[in-house]
Amino acid sequence: MQIASLSTEQAPPISVPLRYFAAAPVFLIFSALLLALSGSNPFADLRSGAQIAATHHITLGVMAMVMLGAIQQMLPVVIGSPMPASRIVAWLTFLPLIAGVLLFSASFMLGKMFMLDWAWTLLGLSFLIFIAASLLSLWRATAQNATKTAIFLSIISLAGAVSLGLLLAHGYAAGLPLSYPLLATAHISLALGGWVLLLIIGVSYQVVPMFQLTPNYPKWMTSALAPALFIVLLLKLGLLPFETMPSWSGFFVECLFWLLACSFAVITLKLQSQRRRRVPDAPLSFFRLGMASLLLAAIFSLAALIWPQYSDNLRTLSALAYILGFALSLIQGMLYKIVPFLIWFHLFRGGIKAIKAGVPNMKEIIPEPLMWRHLWLQCATLLTALMAPWSTEVAYLTMLGLLLQGILLAYAIYIGIRVYRHTLKRLMQA
Amino acid sequence: MKTIAEFMTADHKACDHKFADAEVAALDGNWSEAGIAFNAFNDNMLRHFVTEEDLLFPALISAGGPSGPVQMMRMEHDQIRELLSQMTAAVSAKNTQHYSGLSETILMVMQQHNHKEENILYPIMDQILAQQREALMGRLLTV
Repeated sequence: MQIASLSTEQAPPISVPLRYFAAAPVFLIFSALLLALSGSNPFADLRSGAQIAATHHITLGVMAMVMLGAIQQMLPVVIGSPMPASRIVAWLTFLPLIAGVLLFSASFMLGKMFMLDWAWTLLGLSFLIFIAASLLSLWRATAQNATKTAIFLSIISLAGAVSLGLLLAHGYAAGLPLSYPLLATAHISLALGGWVLLLIIGVSYQVVPMFQLTPNYPKWMTSALAPALFIVLLLKLGLLPFETMPSWSGFFVECLFWLLACSFAVITLKLQSQRRRRVPDAPLSFFRLGMASLLLAAIFSLAALIWPQYSDNLRTLSALAYILGFALSLIQGMLYKIVPFLIWFHLFRGGIKAIKAGVPNMKEIIPEPLMWRHLWLQCATLLTALMAPWSTEVAYLTMLGLLLQGILLAYAIYIGIRVYRHTLKRLMQA
Repeated sequence: MKTIAEFMTADHKACDHKFADAEVAALDGNWSEAGIAFNAFNDNMLRHFVTEEDLLFPALISAGGPSGPVQMMRMEHDQIRELLSQMTAAVSAKNTQHYSGLSETILMVMQQHNHKEENILYPIMDQILAQQREALMGRLLTV
């Protein structure tokens, strides 16, 4: 039993998670600008250079950035085991990640592929340190729960996705004769199907019942879903190199993956509909939008299997629903819960003196109307994204939506940090 | 017979339910109902803390249990008590906006706190206090 883990002193300093959360919206803004610079409609071809650069700004600059901050904050509470050397890990992951993403996109936008070698070295360093530190933390934890298993499998998938990503990047830089489409498929499957989905599942097991007072996830789901998804992913990877395998095997594995993903979305939506806490809550609506988008992504991918003649378009829609709808909605919704709580928590730790001097409550840290406006903006962006592949004008609306979302999120986090600084100053003077 | 973890976790859930009833009524502006539900929530919480602070924590410490985590839980109880007293003032003032912000805050604090107790501290109690459990459970029911 990890007794020491009850200590709040194990929570990292507020600057550790906040630096990642403050940087993430800047990358969302950059992703919109990169898409706008592409010259043509980047949503018509998801493999264009500008689209690859912009997608990685979202997956690495926003999604991985928030994950790095959130995991360091979450592990002490959820599994009772903090990250080792949190400040050092923070600097050694944060700066190389930023520099790596910027170099990655620069190499695609400028057509200077040799820069990919610099990019992958920095990204590799950042992820190597993060993966090693989180695995050490998981290994030290004695608490056994479904979240721990899901996070572990998510980190393993991340390690696989990163390794393949580094290989692809080096291959492009050095002009190596690799099987690029096959490696890219494996890289995307591990990143989106493994890392992102398993992490969201593990976190949801904790936060869905906690934030909305819903019943717990059913036992069969918490014990079986994450391992089953991981096995299905491994099966998918195992089948990839064998072009001679009967096509029904790939069909079967992909159906199984989406059915498992749908079961998670359906159960989550059902639990949320049974919540005791029946009050309007913007982060909850972000969460539900995310789950609906996951179902939509599944429908598009399953339709692509049934109607292969429309496969390209349907898979593009699935990817857009998955990244912009599912992942981005959940991440932004979670930030609107985590950031105000972290700020409140660190201010309230001041004890009696802080309490007497007055600490703003969570809704006085980031104003609620701003979160609701952001939610509607996210809905509109998603709707336009699903039409963007067929219209350049609509594609510009999607870029505008992403740009405005980045600005709004950056502003919300800035307001939070400003409240923190002002209150801290007031507490010092009190 | 129930374990300490099962009994105290069920008590957390009962507090959560009262919390939700009070919040829904307060945000609807139904202050007569909100007042009743909030008082029930407040009473349940304070009684739960007394159970822990006067009975379970001392029993754990005298059986050689860890004092650091217990101290930490007491500190979090003080934080929650402070939020409860601010919520009492918001109910008296019928201030929906203030109540809503405090309610959001106390939920996060309470859930984090409960999570640590349910997953770490109560299982330790069930382990260390195994021999006195029957007597303790009898006293728990009378608090």
